[in-house]
Amino acid sequence: MIPLGYFTFLSAFLFCVGIFGVLTRRNVIGILISIELILNAANINLVAFNKYLGTSDGMGQVFGLFVIAIAAAASVVGLILIIAIYRNTKSLFTDGFTLMKE
Amino acid sequence: MSEWVFYFISLCACIFAVLAVTQRDIFHCALWLAMTLLSVAGIYFYLDAAFLGVVQILVYVGGVITLFVFAIKLTAHIGYKSIRQTSKQWAISLFITMLLLSILFRVFAQNPWASIALEHSSTSVAQIGKSLMTGYALPFEFMSVILLAAMVGAIVIGKVKK
Repeated sequence: MIPLGYFTFLSAFLFCVGIFGVLTRRNVIGILISIELILNAANINLVAFNKYLGTSDGMGQVFGLFVIAIAAAASVVGLILIIAIYRNTKSLFTDGFTLMKE
Repeated sequence: MSEWVFYFISLCACIFAVLAVTQRDIFHCALWLAMTLLSVAGIYFYLDAAFLGVVQILVYVGGVITLFVFAIKLTAHIGYKSIRQTSKQWAISLFITMLLLSILFRVFAQNPWASIALEHSSTSVAQIGKSLMTGYALPFEFMSVILLAAMVGAIVIGKVKK
């Protein structure tokens, strides 16, 4: 059986890859993709801890379900915001968004 | 045997995640993200969380990735290879990320629960359904309100003003 630590290592790696993407991407859609990676890393931890330190009511999996639903809602709002911004500025790069300065 | 399945799936997830973050073409990034999410679903199946794995495939790979592809196609010519996709601070970002990763690994390796390999009985789908309807009924209802609010908000923001 795999020790619990390996799952935390995997999720830490995915989390850091997501953080790197958020920090370096110029494209807003790329940033959203990285945020999805971060949320998935958190979810792996929830499910793994539920399996190894099991609770009677399956708390980890229920919260994993919540995280998936919230992430879907967040990405819907994020993408529609991106399309609205694209209509106004014709750009998707974070260094081009200077609407608040003008 | 069972260990190698885990190693293979997690190696796939790591490689696909790195590709999803570093590729130039944003459309390829979305497809690599789909592969990463499928690998994470494989991890869920490995952890006996079959219901969550199926939800992951349905909601993420079926729904969210489709949305990403639509958004990329609706906002044309952003994926051109000649346009730089990363900011100038990528070197310092890499340094900060490596620092964070090493700190996380050190903390996780020192923890006493890192070596737990004791299996508990797996959570059944019936148990999840019972929890959603009894103990976690309030957060469940809040989640549906949030989904409704997101849907209405998306329609309002996306509406073309005349």
